[in-house]
Amino acid sequence: MRTKLRQIYYDLRHQPVIAWVTFLATAISVFLIMVVVMMQVVKTVPFAPESCRDRLLVGVGLHIRMLNDYGDSSSGMSYFSAKTLYEGLDGVERMGCFTYWPDKAEVSAPKGEAVNMTLRNVSAGIFDVFDYTLVEGRYFTQEEADAMMPVAVISESTAGKIFDSRPYVGKDIVIDNNPYTVVGVIRDVSTLATSAYSDVFTPTGLNDPRHWTEYLGELAVAMVVADGVDFQYVRDQVKGRYAILDAQLRAEGQETVYHEAPYDQETIASGVGGSNVTPDTGPERRMRIIIYVILMIVPAINLSSMLHSRLRRRVREIGVRRAFGCTRRRIITDIITENFIVTLAGGIVGVILGIIFASFYSGLYETVDNIGHGDTPSFTALLSWSTIVTSLVVCFILNILSASVPAWQASRLNPVEALNNK
Amino acid sequence: MAIIKLTQINKVYQTKEIETTALENVNIEVERGEFLSIMGPSGCGKSTLLNIIGLIDKPTDGKVELLGEELVGKSDTELSHFRNANIGFVFQSFHLIPSLDVAANVEMPLIYRSGMSARARRERVEAVLERLNMTHRLHHLPSQLSGGQCQRVAIARAIVGSPSIILADEPTGNLDSRMGAEVMGLLHQLNKEDGSTIVMVTHNEAQARETDRIIRFFDGRVIS
Repeated sequence: MRTKLRQIYYDLRHQPVIAWVTFLATAISVFLIMVVVMMQVVKTVPFAPESCRDRLLVGVGLHIRMLNDYGDSSSGMSYFSAKTLYEGLDGVERMGCFTYWPDKAEVSAPKGEAVNMTLRNVSAGIFDVFDYTLVEGRYFTQEEADAMMPVAVISESTAGKIFDSRPYVGKDIVIDNNPYTVVGVIRDVSTLATSAYSDVFTPTGLNDPRHWTEYLGELAVAMVVADGVDFQYVRDQVKGRYAILDAQLRAEGQETVYHEAPYDQETIASGVGGSNVTPDTGPERRMRIIIYVILMIVPAINLSSMLHSRLRRRVREIGVRRAFGCTRRRIITDIITENFIVTLAGGIVGVILGIIFASFYSGLYETVDNIGHGDTPSFTALLSWSTIVTSLVVCFILNILSASVPAWQASRLNPVEALNNK
Repeated sequence: MAIIKLTQINKVYQTKEIETTALENVNIEVERGEFLSIMGPSGCGKSTLLNIIGLIDKPTDGKVELLGEELVGKSDTELSHFRNANIGFVFQSFHLIPSLDVAANVEMPLIYRSGMSARARRERVEAVLERLNMTHRLHHLPSQLSGGQCQRVAIARAIVGSPSIILADEPTGNLDSRMGAEVMGLLHQLNKEDGSTIVMVTHNEAQARETDRIIRFFDGRVIS
């Protein structure tokens, strides 16, 4: 090992450009891979208020088909459908309804200037599912929601934009020209929390006139599955509930089409697509793999040519080693090991850059998003073991990809020609 | 019994246009402990012969026997192990590895020998360098040494593994006469004290005459 370190040090001194480019190209490659991994981690790692992501299932919509012709309709669920399909499932600890695709709403104080904010209609249960931080007041109850009481929970920054002074609770607020009263103020939620995020929350319940039909509406269901309960067990129950709903629908000449609901966080993060399709995480996974491959192949080709250049200056040395009994396999393993030390050193620098990136991630996010300023995934959540292990695996693959061809070529050198190399 | 036995060795270099015969029906036997010189004009096949004896080149046809073992047809790995155990090279241009210090250069053949601890290797390297009066240069790089010192290190590398055969390709070719004489003295010392069999290619008639036997080459053939 000492000999290999000496060789690397010698290369750094005698071929500084090639050695440093090799080193930095590895660092940048590993850093970019880490960023891509972290961008994926952000979509699935638990953080407040979506602290339950690892146990979260979301039933997104409903697809209804007419029995006697080819027509069908699909959208979110009505509160009735949501309760029929998802309420009281075995192994589910908490559930709540929410508008899956949030609206934009004009929000203002009475006679005040309106601001355009994100609005979600939610059942009271959603405040149990997601761990929002209550800053003032309380959440609305399901009784208030079922009675369609004009109450709202708003985010702290929304309140700050609309009202001049605290306390905000008890103040009147106008949402899309309808009067409400603020009953609670929560800490801002980051838009990274795609299911939990909103600026304004208004109640929905059985009597919500916004439901389009008895079955279809705009609601999705979020539920927290108990520890140790298999997601498929919950899905099987939901499939059974579809049969119950079907019994009612068939009397009306309709039936449901089941699309493997409810979905886990990875599926949600990949994009559900619509209520009338079965989500497929495959394309996004394939795209991710393609990005990883590109991020590895491009530097691997670069590193390979760099190593080739470094080895061109060591042809005679390889001839000497072969003359003194070094086998071809040993030449290959020595070169790959030397290269691995360089790529590992570059990889460590890449990981350090990744750590710096992770520590500044929240700040970076705020600069590109002017809506959500809530919590973002913590530094430790972003830099999970899997991220670091992935980076090291990338180092190893980069090394194998970049070093194997030059190492093999070096091992095939004719010792006599290598010794006579000028 | 001959430690080196070459029988009907031919070496032909074939390119698209021409065929060049480097060695033609060469038969040589070298006894254990013999110091043999090979002489001849440039391009007559001396170095090719040395490379074939050293198992880093293969004859087009013929038999190569070293220490009683027929070696033509052996795998590359088997030949590598045989070289490591039995053959030491001394080159005209020293061929020291520039990135390694004297100790690491000398240690190199031992690294490819299995079952030898780092400590045992270090002790062996120090012993060999002490014998060649080079311990004071243990941690110097080749670029910090004179030509004569480089060749001493190269000889140390050649003998560190206690090989039976030392192959020297014009070992004094890049040295002045004083250094050359010194290196020749060392080779004779190794031949006499250790009983090493030495095959040396040289252009220097005087140095060749000091050895046990001279084989003269011309156009790939042994002429005397």
